[in-house]
Amino acid sequence: MGQKGFFTDTTLCIGCKACEVACKQWNQLPDDGFHFTGMSYDNTGALGSATWRHVAFVERPVPLQGQTTGVGDFSWLMMSDVCKHCQHAGCLEACPTGAIIRTEFDTVYVQPDVCNGCGYCVVACPFGVISRREDDGRAWKCTLCYDRLGEGMTPACAKACPTESIVFGDLDELHARAENRIRALHERGVTDAYLYGKDAENQPGTGGLNAFFLLLDKPEVYGLPPDPVVPTKKAGRTWGAVALGALGMAAVALGSVLLGREARP
Amino acid sequence: MSPPVIGNEPTFLDKLQRKRDGRNVDPALGVLSGEGAQQRVKDPEDPHPERRPMPTLPSQLATERETAPSYYGLPAVKEPVWIWSVPTYLYVGGAAGAASLLGFMADVAGGPELERLGRRGRWVGTVGDVLSSGLLIHDLGRPSRFLNMLRVFRPTSPMSIGSWVLATSGGLNTLGLLLGQRRGWPGVVGRCATAGAGVLGMPLAGYTAVLLCNSAIPVWQATHRTLPLFFMSSATAAAGSLLSLLPHGPAEARVLRPYRLAGKVAELVMGVAVERDAARVPEVARPLHEGFSGTLWKTSRVCSAAGLVLDVLPGRARWKQVAADVLTTAGALAARFAIFHAGKASARNPQATFQGQRQGLGAAEVAGNTVASDGKPLKFPLPVLR
Ligand code: SF4
Ligand code: SF4
Repeated sequence: MGQKGFFTDTTLCIGCKACEVACKQWNQLPDDGFHFTGMSYDNTGALGSATWRHVAFVERPVPLQGQTTGVGDFSWLMMSDVCKHCQHAGCLEACPTGAIIRTEFDTVYVQPDVCNGCGYCVVACPFGVISRREDDGRAWKCTLCYDRLGEGMTPACAKACPTESIVFGDLDELHARAENRIRALHERGVTDAYLYGKDAENQPGTGGLNAFFLLLDKPEVYGLPPDPVVPTKKAGRTWGAVALGALGMAAVALGSVLLGREARP
Repeated sequence: MSPPVIGNEPTFLDKLQRKRDGRNVDPALGVLSGEGAQQRVKDPEDPHPERRPMPTLPSQLATERETAPSYYGLPAVKEPVWIWSVPTYLYVGGAAGAASLLGFMADVAGGPELERLGRRGRWVGTVGDVLSSGLLIHDLGRPSRFLNMLRVFRPTSPMSIGSWVLATSGGLNTLGLLLGQRRGWPGVVGRCATAGAGVLGMPLAGYTAVLLCNSAIPVWQATHRTLPLFFMSSATAAAGSLLSLLPHGPAEARVLRPYRLAGKVAELVMGVAVERDAARVPEVARPLHEGFSGTLWKTSRVCSAAGLVLDVLPGRARWKQVAADVLTTAGALAARFAIFHAGKASARNPQATFQGQRQGLGAAEVAGNTVASDGKPLKFPLPVLR
């Protein structure tokens, strides 16, 4: 089966939202409201329970490297955001029911028939991806088209992307492809380009993302955290504090009982 | 002044749409079998949080919260979906755990005089455990599936650990109540159960803090070393005050007084520690100082301090004691709600996530990396692009 993932090259994205539409249609997701947000061409807003692909539109008051425009200092950044299918997935490690599993394709999958809607995964995801739909009561997110992968098909979004900004494939092939692309871009003078979340070296907090990105500006600009960490990585210290507290609680309780007996008139 | 919210009033289009779920699949012509087809839609509504029109250009460079780079000021992590029952549980579960522990200690070391205190602790523990389960189930999106909590044991999930601790502690406490007074082997079983519940009372009071800290919510994660101690000392103070409010004799009062006071002092000290822990990055500590959560937090600190002062003041008037215990209880309860709402506010503020991580509160805290995911050294303010 191998490790499957997405490589999203934001330099190729033209903001057509074909991925958003393809995702909604294939997965038969309900709508997420028809609203005018005023945020450039982004009327989707954010990833959510019914929004598993989200194209971000950034209008920058700076030109792209090596590009001259007739309109002054301006450039577009567009990025199709998705669940990152983290190597160390916060949602998976937090789920108390075992509803979230790692599949044979090394992707992270929520089993809707098991989830009881405790909402813990929602706060555990360092990227703010998974969310609970209130009138459904369960948590939902991108499945990396688990049903399509099982049939040997490409996920709907990657299939629909007209510019190959979203590439689906085996992780090692994607890594090679991304490295080549970065090299080519750097040669062309776009030295701002970098890979976000390619591996554990790049992102120790998550151990790397199966859906990683090629970005041109700070992660913050796209709404991505600059140094994300799976909360579980800090759990050791937290449980240590609990152990200390337990000692204290026991000492106080025992001490008070003994004191109370001593003080007997 | 925040800009007006747009896009939340249902438009005519919304109302038309509301009749359907937006899937636009005619059941006569198509099958609903996609991965998301089971997603239930009762009342199609905008599932996104309220949106404000472009408060900032994403790429602008500045350090202030309003203008620092972010994606239109939208949150970087999702806000907790939990409701009032969770912070209430944080209080009830804590008090129940601490009461079980005190009851157990009174049984082991207290002698016949403190037998009543032991029983009272068990009662409070049992009732608290049952109440806690109810509060937690109430918060589930699918309450009927609450038993799925005990479907697996996942050591990486504090909620899984906590569910097991709560279920076991509730069971043992009940067993202890039923069998504790019996003679012969049922009595032995009952006393063992009491001991088990007493020991589990400690993690029960503390794991709730791990539950919050083990999340991506900046203010919760940033306080992961101090919040457990705060919750546990607050649980001690709360249990002491609760037991003092219930009728008790002079022998029990002699135990409850030092117990209560130690808890109250520790709670105040740890409250300051929590604030200092969060204050490592001002943007992270923000919800503890301002807004609804800030007011709650200040109120809780004042109540707790007043509860302690009133308690140590000389005089044996009953009203004074009652007032002190009520103040402490109010302080403990308000503190849980304050921490809970601070988490919500913190999640809404993308700068808490971004600046916290840029200043070393992200993976760098445990992994020791010195560069962020964009390959730039961790530092803030960010280097200027132009
Ligand atoms: S991005 Fe979030 S929801 Fe997706 S796998 Fe990682 S932790 Fe889970
Ligand atoms: S909401 Fe569902 S998927 Fe998320 S942690 Fe709870 S049980 Fe697991």
